[in-house]
Amino acid sequence: MGDQPQTANSEGGIRRSTRTRTRKKKKNQIPLGILAFLLIVAIGIILSLTVGNNVALFWLLGSVFGFILQRSRFCFTASMRDPYLTGGTNLTKAVLTAFAVTTIGFAAIKYGAFTRGLPIPGQSYVVPISLATAVGAFMFGIGMVIAGGCASGTLMRVGEGFGMQILSLFFFIVGSLLGAAHFGWWKLNFIVRGPSVFLPDVFGWVGAVIVQLFIIALLWIAADKWAKRKNVSDGH
Amino acid sequence: MKKFTDKIKSDPYYKAWLKEAWPYLTGAILLSVFQIVSLAAAGSPWGVSGTLANWGAWLYKLVGGSVDKWYYFASDAAQAKLAAGPLQDPGTLRNLGLIAGALFAVLIASGFKFKKIKTWKQIVAAVLGGLLMGYGARIAFGCNIGALYSGIASLSLSGWVYAAFLFLGAIVGSKLLVKYFM
Amino acid sequence: MSKEVELDCMGEACPVPLIKCEKALEGMDVGDVLICQIDHSCAMKNVPEWAREQGHNVEIEEVDDGEWEVIIEKVK
Repeated sequence: MGDQPQTANSEGGIRRSTRTRTRKKKKNQIPLGILAFLLIVAIGIILSLTVGNNVALFWLLGSVFGFILQRSRFCFTASMRDPYLTGGTNLTKAVLTAFAVTTIGFAAIKYGAFTRGLPIPGQSYVVPISLATAVGAFMFGIGMVIAGGCASGTLMRVGEGFGMQILSLFFFIVGSLLGAAHFGWWKLNFIVRGPSVFLPDVFGWVGAVIVQLFIIALLWIAADKWAKRKNVSDGH
Repeated sequence: MKKFTDKIKSDPYYKAWLKEAWPYLTGAILLSVFQIVSLAAAGSPWGVSGTLANWGAWLYKLVGGSVDKWYYFASDAAQAKLAAGPLQDPGTLRNLGLIAGALFAVLIASGFKFKKIKTWKQIVAAVLGGLLMGYGARIAFGCNIGALYSGIASLSLSGWVYAAFLFLGAIVGSKLLVKYFM
Repeated sequence: MSKEVELDCMGEACPVPLIKCEKALEGMDVGDVLICQIDHSCAMKNVPEWAREQGHNVEIEEVDDGEWEVIIEKVK
């Protein structure tokens, strides 16, 4: 039963030399954590009373996203980088799972609005496909790997106290400004001719969800096999 | 207080929920739940980088610049948003909330530490990486969240095209990282 | 006699700690122990996971707030 006394090294333990390093006494940050929680709630309440419910909702949603990202060490950068760099695909599979679950929820909300004749929410995220998409995504892919985090990852790591990501956040903002300054040129030459494709317009609502989930499933299987193949070839 | 927090520290639920890292799958499911909450309650999926362009515009204004003539900020809606300031901008609060939420998560796990920049390579990587991400996100309509995650989940083909080129970029980035930045 | 190697990955961002560990382990013999010092909370999850998937014995020790030692015993 669980009430039996546990030995200090129940796993058997890895033998290591006993070192006489003086260790700092660990500080206890839990009270600060509780304070941070209370501040997040208080700021939410103050925002809703002074500015409005909408900004308060966004503040709370942001806090929840930050909390989830940090607690699960979720990292979109690693999901794209690790299959090539280390052969690991655990995060890739998790990101694909998130795509699948969110697709189902989004499709339901959008379809519900559509059948009631209401404007479909979130359609501003269905954007034109052009050379700008390809070039921008390619640049973003390089940037996130060398900077050690994408946009959400960088914000999360700022919260965790990474000096490097505070610097990359600043230059992310500078880069955004440069991108915005050149946006007219990209729009005029490429984006304006790019098609926006909403999959339900092509496959129908049910068809679009099925096609997308099928593609996600295929990618998930490919990621799973890729990790196993990599591990086998490493084991020679 | 000390006794109370000592008790918390040895509590198995505290350890599983607030101390040790969750499985990635838990993160995936919870992010999905709150993406769906975002679309249902706020009428818009999650995005991060569009707001950073607004931050850029505000900072540029602080140092005396003006973006009023820029095509990107030319629409009435964009002008109104910039004029209203950061506190009225939901996206700004969401990004600040993300930082606060992550800070809360590390503090409650007793794991906060300020990590100084260690080498020149890290500075170059952060500057270059930040610039590439910022520029790329603007011309491709977003980052891993807005253009990739929310794009795909919104059943937009653009999300898949973004994913393909993001993956190619990540491979090139990995090669550069191993060769020059470590 | 098996040896013990210390690897300083303090202040390193992902994926640098994992690549450094991978390289260090390559040059070690079966039975040797690698002690990787990290202060990156993501590496604290992905380095042990990767090492376990490779079949090595892994332990994590929390050294200080936000600092860990990942102890990897090379098995194969």
